Amino acid sequence: MMLSRTGFAPLNRSLGLVSRRTFQSSAKRCLTIPFLPVLPQKPGGVVGTPNDPYVPPPVSKMEGPIHWWIEKTFAVATLPLAATALIAGPLSTTYDSVFSVALLGYCYMEFHSCITDYIPKRVYGKFHNYALYLLGGGSLISLLGIYKLESEGEGITGLIHSLWTGKTTSKEVTESSK
Amino acid sequence: MTLLARNAYSLLSRRGLASAAASAPKATTSRLKTFKIYRWNPDKPAEKPQLKAYQVDLNNCGPMILDALLKIKNEQDATLTFRRSCREGICGSCAMNIGGRNTLACLCRIDQDESKQTKIYPLPHMYIVKDLVPDLTNFYQQYKSIKPYLHRKDYPADGKEILQSIDDRKKLDGLYECILCACCSTSCPSYWWNQEEYLGPAVLMQAYRWLIDSRDQATKMRQSMLENSMSLYRCHTIMNCTKTCPKGLNPGRSIAEIKKQLAL
Repeated sequence: MMLSRTGFAPLNRSLGLVSRRTFQSSAKRCLTIPFLPVLPQKPGGVVGTPNDPYVPPPVSKMEGPIHWWIEKTFAVATLPLAATALIAGPLSTTYDSVFSVALLGYCYMEFHSCITDYIPKRVYGKFHNYALYLLGGGSLISLLGIYKLESEGEGITGLIHSLWTGKTTSKEVTESSK
Repeated sequence: MTLLARNAYSLLSRRGLASAAASAPKATTSRLKTFKIYRWNPDKPAEKPQLKAYQVDLNNCGPMILDALLKIKNEQDATLTFRRSCREGICGSCAMNIGGRNTLACLCRIDQDESKQTKIYPLPHMYIVKDLVPDLTNFYQQYKSIKPYLHRKDYPADGKEILQSIDDRKKLDGLYECILCACCSTSCPSYWWNQEEYLGPAVLMQAYRWLIDSRDQATKMRQSMLENSMSLYRCHTIMNCTKTCPKGLNPGRSIAEIKKQLAL
């Protein structure tokens, strides 16, 4: 700080004394999540000397084309299932289970993608893993919820249907009314 | 002969007209247009970056943004810093954000409506060295990592060139024209968030250019480099890259082709 005030900014930079203000970036702060601690970053994202090539992350079979296939399968499968459920109303329990699980899978894949995008390990370190655990745990609880809905209630289609009709129908109720 | 003479005459007369047109406006009113340019000086790091306004007479200036920038630097403020070299859109040095769009200053026309201001910023979400000069070290490191040169195990026995069919050569059209100006990469929101790890559209398009080159034999190596969550799969087909490319190329399609090649 003293050095920069006395006009030794170039020397200052070459000594690496002021690491924060050597580069100006336009409002990078707005991208960080306020309540999570952030790891120190290399200025300009430059690792090593300027002549070193960027080193890609190690090959990961599960994060390559297989991941892409799973993502697209869930996305494409959900669309006709949702459309049919929307048009035809509550269908069989099997159909509804398949639809619910596909929807959950799709949500899981896309939230996973969001975490990779916005809570990257490079910036947030272990909080990246915590976010993934949270997502995994939430998905498991959702799976239990789907099981409960399918075994006791009318399934996800019936649940959404009841939002309009205002009637909560469950299998026990319908059976007892018979 | 008469044809030549007529051509020479028309050339002369046109030149005469042009010089008359250039000298005429000096007598009439000047068309002052305001350019607001991002300024930041690394020698005074505590000072915040600011937009500085410059007025340029459009009657006395070339048609492109680069002409205006050079005019400002020559006549008004010599400290204005920007990269430029070929002034014809082949070197990619003068890439900047003009009126909200990443493009080359030498290929971008000045909006002739002088009542409107034109704002010029450096490429977005990059570290700035000074004024309109971004630090592209990371971008070049990424380009280096895809090994943008021919890999072969064996060469033709006669020691001559490696032959390629016309159809195979055609596959490289629309890819080899890229001048690596970084307009597309810096317009990509996914590159803004993860530029340290995501390769970005420009580099991925070059990766594809080498993947489909019929003379290259390192396809497996090139593909396996992209098999992770960050390098390639951070592309969410936002397509800003294709929209902004000053050379009219389509990096979005190249990335989709790589994904297809890896998946099938």
